[in-house]
Amino acid sequence: MDMNRRSFGGLALGAVLSGPAISASALAAAPAPVAYPHRVVTLVTHSSPGGGSDVFLRELIRHLRKYINATFIIENVTGGSGARSITRVAAGKPDGSILYATTPTYIYASLMSRTPHTFRDLEPVVNLFTDSEIVYTRADGPFRTMKDVIYKAKTARGRWGAANPASLERQAAEELKRQAKVNAAIVSHEGGGDLMINVLNGTLDIGVGEIAETRAQLQGNKIRVLATFNPARLPSFPDVPTIKDLGYPVVMEKFRGLAGPKGMPANIIAIWEQAAQRVLADPDYKRAYENEALIPNYMAHDRYAPFIAKFADNTTQFLKQNGVIR
Amino acid sequence: MNEFLHGLQMLVSTPLVFVAIGGLVWGILGGAMPGLSASITMALLLPFTYTLEPSMAIVMLATCYIGAEYGGSIPAILVRTPGTNSAAATVLDGYEMKRQGRAGEALGISLWSGVIGSLFGLLMLMTLTEPLSRIALLFRPTTYCALGILGLSVIASLSGKSLLKGCIAAVLGMMVATIGTDPVDGVSRFTFGTADLLDGVAPIFAMVGLFAVSELMTRSGTSGTEIGRQEIRLRLPNFAMMKKLWPAQAIGCVFGTLEGLTPGGGGAIASFLAYNEAKRWSKNPERFGKGAEEGVAAPETANNTVASTALIPLLSFGIPGSNSAAVLLGGLLIHGLLPGPRLFEENTDVIGGLYVGSLVATIAQLAVGFLILPVCLWLVNRPRPYLAAFIFALVVSGIFTLNMALFDVGLVLAAGLVGYLLRSFGFPFLPAVLGLVLGELVESNYRRSLQLSGGDIGIFLEDPIAIGFLVAASLIVVGALVREWRDATSKRKVST
Repeated sequence: MDMNRRSFGGLALGAVLSGPAISASALAAAPAPVAYPHRVVTLVTHSSPGGGSDVFLRELIRHLRKYINATFIIENVTGGSGARSITRVAAGKPDGSILYATTPTYIYASLMSRTPHTFRDLEPVVNLFTDSEIVYTRADGPFRTMKDVIYKAKTARGRWGAANPASLERQAAEELKRQAKVNAAIVSHEGGGDLMINVLNGTLDIGVGEIAETRAQLQGNKIRVLATFNPARLPSFPDVPTIKDLGYPVVMEKFRGLAGPKGMPANIIAIWEQAAQRVLADPDYKRAYENEALIPNYMAHDRYAPFIAKFADNTTQFLKQNGVIR
Repeated sequence: MNEFLHGLQMLVSTPLVFVAIGGLVWGILGGAMPGLSASITMALLLPFTYTLEPSMAIVMLATCYIGAEYGGSIPAILVRTPGTNSAAATVLDGYEMKRQGRAGEALGISLWSGVIGSLFGLLMLMTLTEPLSRIALLFRPTTYCALGILGLSVIASLSGKSLLKGCIAAVLGMMVATIGTDPVDGVSRFTFGTADLLDGVAPIFAMVGLFAVSELMTRSGTSGTEIGRQEIRLRLPNFAMMKKLWPAQAIGCVFGTLEGLTPGGGGAIASFLAYNEAKRWSKNPERFGKGAEEGVAAPETANNTVASTALIPLLSFGIPGSNSAAVLLGGLLIHGLLPGPRLFEENTDVIGGLYVGSLVATIAQLAVGFLILPVCLWLVNRPRPYLAAFIFALVVSGIFTLNMALFDVGLVLAAGLVGYLLRSFGFPFLPAVLGLVLGELVESNYRRSLQLSGGDIGIFLEDPIAIGFLVAASLIVVGALVREWRDATSKRKVST
């Protein structure tokens, strides 16, 4: 279990960032837990305890209890870069008693090796969030805006960093480099901490990463946020432009949701769709996830499944283009 | 200092003492289990801290780290199996001392050195966090690459009789290090398409196989059921021994501090370098590898120092100095604490509790050692067949529980077979372990450096620290070659 290879940051609960409230759903008015066919529901994650998805699930179930009448337990199935957890869920009964916390990791793990089960063996149920993905530079460095970064990469040679080699962040950086037609070395690291040091000491011009991984430095004013790869501006940084605003059609959506074994009954999926909307509108949960810079992005089952399929197609294309897979 | 005084009050107002000792005992047990590394021991403890108060949770994890770093030396000395990566260097002289019937003494030295290392690391953490945290920022990919090469230069002192065989073993280790996801491009290398090898071969698995399984195989090949003749008493060093050990311990403190500050190595490089330097500065370097007390003291001081100094970059930047510190970061985040300068201002109870809890654990380490070490000594004195069966069961079940994967058990057994072959042909293991631990550090950072410079190797000349490391590495290598050559010529003279 090599912690450094994974992004160590995950999600934090400290009270630093706060954004404007998102319009509350009327569903939150009178919470009464919905009956569920199982007393115990197992939520599986590939994260080790304290890792990104583990923290996400633990916070989620604290609030989910108000909306679904069941006991939730979290099972950390680590190893095999996430492949073991996919197998654990795919082999489970598709009756709603076992679910998986999705992140792009489960797509990458499936595409990068011949795993016994892949993301295609799981049924996307609902999506809950998109992570805030930012481009940052050191606060006392020469770059004030994203334009400066692009200018340097056009006239000389840029040095850009991503946390992990097979990651959405690297994919986004490569895509930006292609769209902006610049010359930049895109250096991947062994986790967010490694990357942060190289941005802070000026080895790299910029780093691409989750807000959650950079919060200690954001709070200490050690880094400056230059842009976001999210489709819309971040509630916590309304002045920071998106990469799309800057004229480069590159968007990154690091999703967080739930999936189950293939063949889940429609009534179970409906319970989750309703509960997901209600829990996202829960004021206590809202406070917690806004502090973590998670952006609510509810997707119902019939939207989530095509979204995942498209995401996987894009990723396959990227991995092939860069010679990672054949 | 304010935090420390605040922490002292917590001794009576909170269950700090119990939490600190609880974490320590769990850490020692986990560290002593072959296969459970310090970070895994801490990850197993993490869910139990969810319901504790934040300050208590952090104390429990930090003291668990201290315990695990110490615990790793117990099986290294008694059964030739390092419990954690960073206890690998302890095997050399620790197990040799045990073979000479001095296990009680070796355990006493490792305990004493662990306490010294913890105290020194804690002192650094409490007084010099601010200035030392700047050192962490000086390390670039070029510096890490050079640090890894410096680590590899130690092969000569670990090789025993034949430098050539040592180098072959090291290359073997470095080859195994290339298995898994390529650290720079993300290509799968030598995984045969299975997901089980995507994360590479964990050094701890290779070590358990090379040391423990191969030892068991060798033992099963010999007849006899004699009972071990170890003295059951644990012996702490007396005053004269303490005086003899302090230079080695000072070396351990220095390397432990450096290693803790720089993310990546996690104690293993520090203990190998400390061993090498203690040998070089010793008045009788020829005793190393034959049961030298300093050979246990130096690496054990180093890895326990790391357990405290790895918290310096963690607390000041949120950047963990080792895998175990990364678990501690997870613990902080789960409790809503964000590392960074404001942690010191706003959460004095967490910082104060951490300081005082670590101090309590360090002192308690002595007492806990006195309680559990005689039991361990009694265990290794059982008749050999029972002992071998017990260790086998311990190893296999320990490895299996980590990921619930039979594949891992197969991996460890295969490593055991490789170890058996290496042993039969007189190859040393430690260079292989060193190659495995450092291979990825050197390779990934070398490639990153060249990516940054666009393929120009001159980037290394722009980094003064890297130059320093590389010069030191070449001096060590040249020194070893000269010694080898001198030995060879003097042998020839004797024979003619």
